[in-house]
Amino acid sequence: MPPLTRRSFLAAAGATAAAADMTALNVLKSPLLAGELKRQEKRVILLWLAGGASQLETWDPKPGRPTGGPFRAIPTSVAGIHISELMPKMAERMGTTAIIRSLNTRDGSHGSGAELMHLGRRNEASVKYPDMGAVIARELGRAESQVPDYVSFYTSTEGRGNAVGTSGFLGARYQPMFLTTNTTPENLRRLESLSDVDHHARAEMRRLLSQRFARDRRGSALASHNEAYQRVRGLMASEKLFDVEQEPQAMRDKYGPTQFGEQVLVARRLSEAGVPFVKVGRAWWDSHGQNFETHLELVTELDHVMSALLDDLAERGLLENTLVVTLSEFGRTPRINASLGRDHFASAWSATLSGCGVKVGSVYGKSDEDGQTVVDGEIGAGEFFATVYQALGIDHQKEYYLGDRPLPLTDPGTEPVREVLA
Amino acid sequence: MASIDPTKIKTIKEISRKEIPFALARQPESSRLFIGGSDFKLLEIDPLAEKPEPQEIGGHESYVTGVGLAGGYVISGGYDGRLMWWNAQTREHVRTVEAHAKWIRSVRASADGTLIASVADDMVARLWDAQTGEKIHELRGHAEQTPHHYPSMLYACAFSPDSRQLATADRTGRVVVWDAESGKELTAVEAPEMYTWDPKQRRHSIGGPRSLAFSPDGKLLAVGGMGQVGNIDHLGGQARLEVFDWQSGERTHEFAVGSFKGLVERLAFHPGGDWLLGAGGDNGGFLIFFDLDKKKILHETKAPMHVHDFALSESCDTLFAVGHNRIVVWEMKE
Repeated sequence: MPPLTRRSFLAAAGATAAAADMTALNVLKSPLLAGELKRQEKRVILLWLAGGASQLETWDPKPGRPTGGPFRAIPTSVAGIHISELMPKMAERMGTTAIIRSLNTRDGSHGSGAELMHLGRRNEASVKYPDMGAVIARELGRAESQVPDYVSFYTSTEGRGNAVGTSGFLGARYQPMFLTTNTTPENLRRLESLSDVDHHARAEMRRLLSQRFARDRRGSALASHNEAYQRVRGLMASEKLFDVEQEPQAMRDKYGPTQFGEQVLVARRLSEAGVPFVKVGRAWWDSHGQNFETHLELVTELDHVMSALLDDLAERGLLENTLVVTLSEFGRTPRINASLGRDHFASAWSATLSGCGVKVGSVYGKSDEDGQTVVDGEIGAGEFFATVYQALGIDHQKEYYLGDRPLPLTDPGTEPVREVLA
Repeated sequence: MASIDPTKIKTIKEISRKEIPFALARQPESSRLFIGGSDFKLLEIDPLAEKPEPQEIGGHESYVTGVGLAGGYVISGGYDGRLMWWNAQTREHVRTVEAHAKWIRSVRASADGTLIASVADDMVARLWDAQTGEKIHELRGHAEQTPHHYPSMLYACAFSPDSRQLATADRTGRVVVWDAESGKELTAVEAPEMYTWDPKQRRHSIGGPRSLAFSPDGKLLAVGGMGQVGNIDHLGGQARLEVFDWQSGERTHEFAVGSFKGLVERLAFHPGGDWLLGAGGDNGGFLIFFDLDKKKILHETKAPMHVHDFALSESCDTLFAVGHNRIVVWEMKE
């Protein structure tokens, strides 16, 4: 799928709005609640560890067990909690974070596993659900905002197709701005051949023609189409937010020189400016061979960048309103294969929530001594998503309507993990 | 020596193990092996005994990845950064040295039995007095980070046959030759083909030279690893060997045409220079005999496991190897 540029964003709005019955969508159940949420400016930064990070080399080490691998577990700033020695910086910052060690998502395929962990549920034949980013953009975004609601970085090519954001039945208004080449959106800038005055005049002309067309016509397609166009100037004005060079060198040094570090710094800039959901995809963790070398590289980077982000958010007073999530499509097998690799494993793996709305400095759930099964607190994707929504103050049972059909944010009967919530 | 024929190689013993044995040293003139592995233990076993029974000598706090034998001592090194001395006869623990700040990747004893070399991910090679455990030199010449800002790794080391030089190899393919007496860097050669950085699809790296061996005359230095990898999720590159005239820096040989994929984990020359043996693997394993004079592969065969280390008998007619969940002994007599 090509990246969503300004032009493709507008084209997609017109093309897909018909599929999104925006007028039939249940508006916020409680406008007062919605207003409160938005005033609090809650935000999410998702660190998507694409390909499947190993829980054993990050959040759920099993030192000394045959499955444990060579890394030691180290104590953290929270008594009783140990994590992999590859994460010394996060160990010092355990008081910012809740670890969930009991995901059993039963899907060890990259494609369908990633879809599940983006949607929190399975699509139905006649219903395409929005992903976490689209829901949060819908719930926490502001109509008058001058910045995008949902930005997604995914620069590596492997697994990119599994991580494309989707707004499902919410329609093109909540499609992510999907950046695949660098930290700056392509084609965001006004063409040099077009003056600013002309750009305004063209927009006004389009608006007048659209108004005339809309006269005596009803339907969501037009609304979505026009709403998308109304956001163009705001998107164009947000270009500098994507420019990492706007940050002082000292701040860039804190995040480090890697592409992931730079993208997470831009994610903080976007979040601070009011973008409700930013996903930074870090690929590719699929360590079938040389698992320990791969994790030595990637966890070291994750530890550094995540720590820098949490420090930065805290210093700016943003952490209490920003939820930082680490998540993959699955974890990795406890069994170590002949290439000293670990394979796909969805039966007992880990994710984290830091900052906003969670009981920080905690561990929820438990895997057995070899990490083969969950022995306490088993949850699936739905429970994880419900927990994320509740941490942000969003009712996970809130219903959208697709036609006359009510569709709750998570599948009926799903409960959040209350032990993880503040 | 003339009765040795690599093409006649055959398995004579295969022992399954629950752990992954990574390193071995053989007691001279015997089939007694000292083996370190993923169970954090140092074991002694005679695989050619009627009923081989491993005896535990001691343990580390992580994988045991290097074992050397010098002056009546077994010296084990592990990912816990420790070197441990053990009496080879009594199996008693002699001393522990906090040798490195990060994983020890390899431990080698000099041929004269006086020196122990250790290399680790702190990117320092250290030379130790094999008898006393005193540190003699710290050899610093490998960068701590790769050009892409990730931690580098110092995988391999090997002494020259006269014990006067030590070679060390890091993840990016830099191979340094040191003067063992003075601790000075003599020269460096590069084998960058063995390091794959994927900037586009997966954005991390794989590979790095894993084995080194000097030729019997000390003039050539063989470097083993894996060629460039397309899909770095797997050990999918071709097994690769490069040989250098290390004093001139000229690369004299390059083998990247074998049937096998994966890392060349261990190299050893036939003492007469007849061939060079490389062993390693991906999900499977291989043995490759190189004829450097004719610049061709003399013989190659599958191993029943990814081979991590091996030792040849004095007459070179018997090969002892450890690897993924196995200890295997081969013979290659005509």
